[in-house]
Amino acid sequence: MAALLELAHLSKRFGGVVVADDLSLSVDAGAAVGLVGPNGAGKTSLFSMISGDLRPDRGTVRFDGTTLNRLGVAARCRLGVARTFQVPRPFEQMTVFENVLVAAQQGARARGAASHRAALASLERCGLAPLANRRAGSLGLLDRKRLELARALASGPRLLLLDEVAGGLTEPEVQVLVGVVASIQAEGTAVVWIEHVVRALVGAVERLLCLAGGAFIADGQPEAVLADPVVREVYLGSELAIEGAR
Amino acid sequence: MSAPGTLAPLPVLGAGGYRIRRSARRSSWLLGLGAGVLVLLAFMPALVSSGDTSLLVNVFILLTVSTMWNLLAGYAGLISIGQQAFIGLGAYAVVVAAIHGMEPFTVIPVSAVVCGVLAVPVAALVLRTRGGYFAIATWVVASTAQLVISSITSIGGGTGHPVPGLTSLSPTQFAHLTYWSALAVVVVALGATYLLLRSRLGLVLSAVRDDEDAARAAGTRVSLVRGAVFVVAAIGCGAAGAVLAVSQLQVQPASAFSVQWSAEIIFVSLIGGMGTIEGPILGTVIYFALQQNLAQHGAWYLIIVGAVAVGVAIWFPRGLWGTLARRLRVELFPVGYHVLGPPPQDSGSPT
Repeated sequence: MAALLELAHLSKRFGGVVVADDLSLSVDAGAAVGLVGPNGAGKTSLFSMISGDLRPDRGTVRFDGTTLNRLGVAARCRLGVARTFQVPRPFEQMTVFENVLVAAQQGARARGAASHRAALASLERCGLAPLANRRAGSLGLLDRKRLELARALASGPRLLLLDEVAGGLTEPEVQVLVGVVASIQAEGTAVVWIEHVVRALVGAVERLLCLAGGAFIADGQPEAVLADPVVREVYLGSELAIEGAR
Repeated sequence: MSAPGTLAPLPVLGAGGYRIRRSARRSSWLLGLGAGVLVLLAFMPALVSSGDTSLLVNVFILLTVSTMWNLLAGYAGLISIGQQAFIGLGAYAVVVAAIHGMEPFTVIPVSAVVCGVLAVPVAALVLRTRGGYFAIATWVVASTAQLVISSITSIGGGTGHPVPGLTSLSPTQFAHLTYWSALAVVVVALGATYLLLRSRLGLVLSAVRDDEDAARAAGTRVSLVRGAVFVVAAIGCGAAGAVLAVSQLQVQPASAFSVQWSAEIIFVSLIGGMGTIEGPILGTVIYFALQQNLAQHGAWYLIIVGAVAVGVAIWFPRGLWGTLARRLRVELFPVGYHVLGPPPQDSGSPT
């Protein structure tokens, strides 16, 4: 069976800064993959090239056998590629329910009562159902992160790209989100997860990639990757790797 | 979809036993009031003089174009100052059709459709721009349309052209037909806006307004959504322009394409409240009330209108209806979603 997501020789540079240097990667359906790397390594740019926000200079992005390069963000979402934004971007003047309903009606193309059901299901999933009627602009950080997740989920993804959903949250809050993501993945959605809080990843993913300078420098079991001397080298002076490897 | 304020049982959704209602605020009395006003308006020609009905025709025209502008600006975040392009084109479509022997009143819907078709290439052009640039682009389109029309001598060039084919009617017949046409156009415009905003397109419009990139990431074809609402607004303005042509018996490019339209539209939408269907209704009523009572005072009229605009902007930033609706918890046209369910609700709604 072919991989769900296949990146082949992706390259992208902004002036002299290389954010992707001949990147190739394949992610199986239903897999849980973590993506770590120092700031500026090109993690978010990689997501943007998969989601369609950013055009690669070279290389191809294939999803479920379809080449995505010429497709826009909305078309990729409708095919089943969903992303969350590092800084949550809710539709501020709409309610929490309406936010998620947009994704259910546009991304998953559900209509009427089916779209209402789908939106409610992802709200319940992410623990946001009691806040369904709240204006999204009035939410705190945890609930905004949950809303990012709920909205991505409501678009019916087969591949979920999570960009630091745990960033800025307290330890118990991180645990809540890890639990939600684990349950989504358990139902067959592939998850690629960028996280600075490495300890959040270790328990939740089966494969860990380390990106530095636009290239993968490690790929494998989370514990093995974090113990890798090269990985430790790029994280030198950062407590993240030490904490994560413990 | 349940009607606003209905007590019919709602289908239970999801494992949590939630239900969806389209309004947080029951406002049956307001709906009754609206229906009463509508019935009264329908019989107005029998009750008042033709001078008063022709004033109401102008009210309906301004309300129609303001409703369309509000759809663009208040819901889709597209601030246009060029809707007069389609008012003028709608008016001239009537002139052209009437010159070719068509009955002016029956041409009104045709004019609207013509404007919708013309709006497609215009949308493709102006929707490449955003914010202030979009506003200027729409103005440029309106000015260009005026210049092009003014240069066509067969429809009167810069001096304008009368609408032929209206002389066979008696003055009373003409006044009544004009009034009912204007009323029909405004009712259809308001009804279509309400249905559009309750639909999937309406929901996604607000999403695009709030965050275009996030809307795209949620699967929204943003250009298509913007294009659709731009075309709808052009259709409404075209219909209003057609009514204008008929009611004035003639069309002049300088007045049909005047940027004064945009000034009036923005005034009534801002004081009434952008992003609500009711806002332009209230704004238009206030605008005409001011005009009728103060117009004879010349400069003072403009000073007072300006002062009202400033006062509303400072003390009622959501517009008069926006503030009133919040305080009284009423909606005449509920377009949002309200989730009802067994868990404790956080909406503060006293339902």
